[in-house]
Amino acid sequence: MAKEPVRVLVTGAAGQIGYALVPMIARGIMLGADQPVILHMLDIPFAAEALNGVKMELVDAAFPLLKGVVATTDVVEACTGVNVAVMVGGFPRKEGMERKDVMSKNVSIYKSQASALEQHAAPNCKVLVVANPANTNALILKEFAPSIPAKNITCLTRLDHNRALGQISERLSVQVSDVKNVIIWGNHSSTQYPDVNHATVGDKPVRELVKDDEWLNGEFITTVQQRGAAIIKARKLSSALSAASAACDHIRDWVLGTPEGTWVSMGVYSDGSYNVPAGVIYSFPVTCKNGEWTIVQGLAIDEFSRKKLDLTGAELTEEKELAYSCLS
Amino acid sequence: MESENYELKRSINRFLALYSMAKDPVRVLVTGAAGQIGYALVPMIARGVMLGPDQPVILHMLDIEPAAEALTGVRMELVDAAFPLLRDVVVTTDVTVACKGVNIAVMVGGFPRKEGMERKDVMSKNVSIYKAQASALEKQAAPDCKVLVVANPANTNALILKEFAPSIPEKNITCLTRLDHNRALGQLSERLKIHVSEVKNVIIWGNHSSTQYPDVNHATVTPANGEEKPVRSVVADDNWLNTEFITTVQQRGAAIIKARKLSSALSAASAACDHIRDWVVGTPKGTWVSMGVYSDGSYGIQPGVIYSYPVTCDKGQWSIVQGLKIDDFSRQKMDATAKELVDEKTLAYSCLN
Repeated sequence: MAKEPVRVLVTGAAGQIGYALVPMIARGIMLGADQPVILHMLDIPFAAEALNGVKMELVDAAFPLLKGVVATTDVVEACTGVNVAVMVGGFPRKEGMERKDVMSKNVSIYKSQASALEQHAAPNCKVLVVANPANTNALILKEFAPSIPAKNITCLTRLDHNRALGQISERLSVQVSDVKNVIIWGNHSSTQYPDVNHATVGDKPVRELVKDDEWLNGEFITTVQQRGAAIIKARKLSSALSAASAACDHIRDWVLGTPEGTWVSMGVYSDGSYNVPAGVIYSFPVTCKNGEWTIVQGLAIDEFSRKKLDLTGAELTEEKELAYSCLS
Repeated sequence: MESENYELKRSINRFLALYSMAKDPVRVLVTGAAGQIGYALVPMIARGVMLGPDQPVILHMLDIEPAAEALTGVRMELVDAAFPLLRDVVVTTDVTVACKGVNIAVMVGGFPRKEGMERKDVMSKNVSIYKAQASALEKQAAPDCKVLVVANPANTNALILKEFAPSIPEKNITCLTRLDHNRALGQLSERLKIHVSEVKNVIIWGNHSSTQYPDVNHATVTPANGEEKPVRSVVADDNWLNTEFITTVQQRGAAIIKARKLSSALSAASAACDHIRDWVVGTPKGTWVSMGVYSDGSYGIQPGVIYSYPVTCDKGQWSIVQGLKIDDFSRQKMDATAKELVDEKTLAYSCLN
């Protein structure tokens, strides 16, 4: 009765996020406790020895669900037959680098990986881009892999979504699993808009329970927006544990479906819903069923929110232009 | 008015929760939690890998003062991950607070060997740490707290802990050799090109060090829909099994460091989860695992050290698998690792004076 294994690719697998992510995948956290997996791990030649070390540790962990490990620096081998692709690899911003330089490096990477994925991945491969600038990297990937359905290319804003749930749960001293339906709109950047206007605890709106609009419209938003920097300040390293966990949540809900009455946030190819720019990867509230996501429609958007939705949309349009200028 | 209704509702919900099917949370302590192994381990615990997907947990994380900010960072990330099973997180540099009410203690914190340090120096530092932590655990932990020592020298740290926490039953104090056990399974699965779940019942005897003895004499391979066969006959290469296989498993830690430039965190954390899970939930029928436990003299090993044995687990208790045949080759190896443990015990005690 055992299921056929699912092939999951992790790029940048020798890095921090990869190291946190691969044992989660191997334990069934991403796809379920009864779903065997084959891990494909890709990194650059410079990291080949470290990557092999990760493979050795995966063997050493004797995971029952892990049916195979492919560790490679060859993007074609990495992409062959994969059903799920988690793109963690990218060019990190280094001190002194201009925004355009970072964008340029990442555009090259995602253009070439798009090509390999398109040619070698399994049909209906689901793609999650984590590496920043996540939304724009995902857009480039989409543009250069035209035979991958646009709906199959997403970016990670589930980390921000989970961070927002966490902040509300701490504020209200409730279990985080009791908080739901926050929304992260827009770009996985400091212009993201964490929106609680439709969030609830039980059947009570979060706004009513918190009773502090100033906090919800001010500090709550900036805390979530800047949480990545706060983690770096405390750990001297960026968030790997929580990013890896969010990546598992994103894929799991996409593949297995969201619980009834609950939505999540995913960066998806915008169709212009809620009057945000079409043709960028924009984070929306979505429900998932039968392996497909659907934007939750019809939510009331107040003036305060409207401005924020537009601001992050404008940033994404600008990033798109910058990315395209790097291609010329 | 609204908030009063909400408070009432919350109280009702709590009352209902008492009568619901949700289990009471288990308190799990991780020492050295700001380090590499801790960072790999805490999300595994929070996802139910250690105690099961329906067992809520409360994490207690302890580290030293210089790591306090990093520890806070880990706590922040645990909040950010919105784990459904994670009911609370206690972060502290105070061992008394850390140990309070814990049902499970995973001791990852210890003094690592630094370049130029003598064995005696490392031992001395760790003896102090484990003596102090023994005291706190004994006074503060919940009754029947299960203890797993990971930090090296694991067996001797566990022994010190046992000696200085006399009211903790000695059977509750163990050390991690499940990593070596899993490594042995992994090596066999690679050699035979089969899935690791088809191999079982290797044994790691003795010390979690380079004198450990990975023994396959009672290990078997059971392919899907196939017959169970002894590993020795399926591998058909006694020379490899008696030499390279053994040294590969013994030195795997060093091989990982060479490749990663960092020591094994992922696999160590995973093995710690396996160790606790099998101890608490029980081993599958017909399968044993390896645990470092207080020796009762079984298999002619000197009592009074923490020695890794093959064990089965049932109802939260481990039992040494008795009656396994031990050949001459194995006898020598088992004795060599026992001797090292006796030497370590002597060294540890000399540090106490």
